[in-house]
Amino acid sequence: MPTGTPMDAQTLLLLRRASYGPTPALLTEADRLGARAWLERQLAPASIKDAYTDGVLKRFPRVTWPIAKVRQQFADDFGTWAVMMDLTRATLVRAIWSERQLFELMVEFWSNHLNVTCPSGDVWDSRADYDRVVRKHALGRFADLLVEASLHPAMQAYLDNASSTKEHPNENQGRELLELHTVGVATGYSEDDVKNSARILTGLGTDGTGEATYRANRHWTGPVQVLDFSDPNESASGGKDLAVRYLNHLARHENTARQIATKLCLRFVSDNPPESLVSRLTSIYLEGDTAVVPMLRELFTSREFATSAGQKVRRPYEDLVATVRILGLKADTSGTKGIENLHWMVLDMGQAPLYWGPPNGYPDVAAAWQSPAGTLARWNAHQNVVERWSVKTLTGPAITTLIPKPRPATHGALIDALSQRLLQQRATAAQQKAICDFLTDRWNKIAPSTPLKSDSVALTWRFAHVVGLLLDSPAHALR
Amino acid sequence: MSTSDCLCPSSSGLSRRTLLRGLASVGALGGVLTAVEGFSGQYAFAASPAAYNGDVLVVLSLRGGFDGLNAIVPVGDPGYLEARPTIGIQERSLIPAGGIFGLHPALKPLKKFWDAGTFGAVHAVGQDNPTRSHFQAMQELERAAPGSSLRTGWLDRTLGSRARGTVFQASQVGSADVSLSLAGPNPEMALSSVDSFRIGAAADTAEDRARWTKALSGLHAGAPSAIAAPAAATLSATATTAKMGAYKPANGAVYPKNSAVGDSLRDVARMIKAGVGLQVACVDEGDWDMHAGMGTADKGWMHDHLNDLALALAAFATDLGSRFRKVTVVTLSEFGRRVGENGSGGVDHGHGNAVLLLGGGVNGGKVHGRWPGLSSSQLVDGDLAGTTDYRAVLGEILQKRCGAGSLTGIFPGFKGAPAMGLVKAG
Repeated sequence: MPTGTPMDAQTLLLLRRASYGPTPALLTEADRLGARAWLERQLAPASIKDAYTDGVLKRFPRVTWPIAKVRQQFADDFGTWAVMMDLTRATLVRAIWSERQLFELMVEFWSNHLNVTCPSGDVWDSRADYDRVVRKHALGRFADLLVEASLHPAMQAYLDNASSTKEHPNENQGRELLELHTVGVATGYSEDDVKNSARILTGLGTDGTGEATYRANRHWTGPVQVLDFSDPNESASGGKDLAVRYLNHLARHENTARQIATKLCLRFVSDNPPESLVSRLTSIYLEGDTAVVPMLRELFTSREFATSAGQKVRRPYEDLVATVRILGLKADTSGTKGIENLHWMVLDMGQAPLYWGPPNGYPDVAAAWQSPAGTLARWNAHQNVVERWSVKTLTGPAITTLIPKPRPATHGALIDALSQRLLQQRATAAQQKAICDFLTDRWNKIAPSTPLKSDSVALTWRFAHVVGLLLDSPAHALR
Repeated sequence: MSTSDCLCPSSSGLSRRTLLRGLASVGALGGVLTAVEGFSGQYAFAASPAAYNGDVLVVLSLRGGFDGLNAIVPVGDPGYLEARPTIGIQERSLIPAGGIFGLHPALKPLKKFWDAGTFGAVHAVGQDNPTRSHFQAMQELERAAPGSSLRTGWLDRTLGSRARGTVFQASQVGSADVSLSLAGPNPEMALSSVDSFRIGAAADTAEDRARWTKALSGLHAGAPSAIAAPAAATLSATATTAKMGAYKPANGAVYPKNSAVGDSLRDVARMIKAGVGLQVACVDEGDWDMHAGMGTADKGWMHDHLNDLALALAAFATDLGSRFRKVTVVTLSEFGRRVGENGSGGVDHGHGNAVLLLGGGVNGGKVHGRWPGLSSSQLVDGDLAGTTDYRAVLGEILQKRCGAGSLTGIFPGFKGAPAMGLVKAG
């Protein structure tokens, strides 16, 4: 344990929920700052230096290219997945190593809320630029994010609005905008509302260079009404302004506020969000003109959050990222092989970043992630990372550096110390016994009280197994 | 494979097949509920298989857009060879299949099942609102709820209408990526292979696996149910796969070597025979997106791919022996190909398609469905029309072979269709 003392449970809960999992350095920092100051620092990510991650990201320079540059650079390989794959890997890098952990979690949150699958042929040139939009507003105002994301070429292509015309309005984006991005299906809008939602968005699209454009000749004109929004929509030239007004209206709708508040609670608090907290966050969203930070501040300092330990389960992506983090692994010395291999692993585990196909984003409740295949994949991934089978080129401390010094007196004390180091909590007597039984063979019966000698299998060829088993245990499966 | 048509270079390191599968998949998980639905389903399996007496339904997804026109070939329609002067299969090469149809010669391994009446086809099958996008067409096909905001899959809804079975009840075999048709609150299993579904990445003996199993079980004692229940199901499933032991196909069945679909069907047969409670098996075969260089009647991409499929299916049917009686295989693909060949010796994305049926209860030896014809006035946007809604095919199988009652919950919005006599009442 880097700090020498067990961290207080509330700070630990905050770290586990508002980051992709503790690292030794993060535990030390939070211990020094205290929970409140740590949170405030995370809510102001621009103030946090992130030199290591910035350095690793230099290996993926193409993710910062604007659409025109992607097209120009890949003129001979039009449609290439190269930039989208770089974005996927850069996303993984940021989740694992960025110091701006809460910011990266919110980028992931909005990337799912306004999902545009990556990689996907329709957005080969625009997906990385779309990510820039999400990052720009991730801790800003939702209204700004919604407007910019909805008009972006990637969303326009993904939800077919780019091919929508006044003669044949494509309803896809108009519908998802209501159902998923804003007020929610429970609002009870009608099919006419959906049709008008689609009509309002006609004319928006992408030009021959791949950039967003507005084509007045494609815009449907005539009165439109969607829920409590209405407009005479008389001129084709006013169509884009109308769309922006409409999006701003939807962003500030009370049902949108409630939907976002509920989703934030689902992400950070519980699979059954407490109504009291949802209700307060809804008000804060509306009072703050859709600002995100005040909602997060209230959420993480709330009584409901404080009593929510054990209520969120890590999904495969979070599990893998947390595993790499707690073991203190770092990126390859040069190149990106280890990062690429981590990406293949998480793809196999069923939750590669940005990869979800449908527009609703990855589900964020435990019940959606309970398949035996997923569980087995998590367990096997732990052993893979601990022993660095497919991630040989990642750097960082050798696994043996986890062996406590001085050597604990008994097997039980070893397991307990490792549990503290990896899971930030003591191993129960039952867990100590389970691992000691695992270590027992025909030559040696091992119990928690059995003295630990330097040649014990627990410190030699079974040591990596003990570490893997601890990562398989329930404490590591929880956020 | 040429990929330029689809703007999806293989040089990206992720194959098109992976993309198509991935986009349609829900990963190794059981639900696609929107987060705000606050799904709180129970995760529980019956201790022993529930009383399900229907067929094991094997849904074989031919991903990428299967060219039904060069598989179940309408050679007697004058429009066929006219539209495909270089890649069309000449009548002399085909296995006669009744009427205007012939089977691609690569399907020869299945001829004896065709003759025995346990292998058949339905032609000109399509979806309601044809789209030529892999992504959309596959999503719609597997969701099977057009015009609704349901995000579950048709197989998940089918399972929801039955008593909960064993952990293996609905299994994706051959991949940990689960078909979107299984997405939803009902749990499913996914295995890349029976042999690889083993506990303890570091364990290489049965004794060591037992050691890992016991330790994992002990570590999860007293855990919250959201963690303990899947752990228990996983340990139970791995115990079952470990017990299956080595496998030798029966009745002289020989599965094709180096064949993903062969390996998967072999595992499905193995699971059926092991009595693990399989009710639905999903198997994927990709790489049907043949925009260029399809090849000829006796060699090339289509021939080799179709032959691999036929060898695998024939071995599967043979291997099952008497159990074949209670198994129905149906192939699905997101769309058919264009009638006319393109300049690259391939075919682009089209509409109407052939569905293959194999099983003891199949009324085979013939091509079902209403043939719309290939003259230009009969085509839809240049493609074979879909005269049979794919849900009619699945619905008949579900009702006659798999014990389904009403289809309204499984295919919402589907008006139904008269039974076509595709299968016998089970």
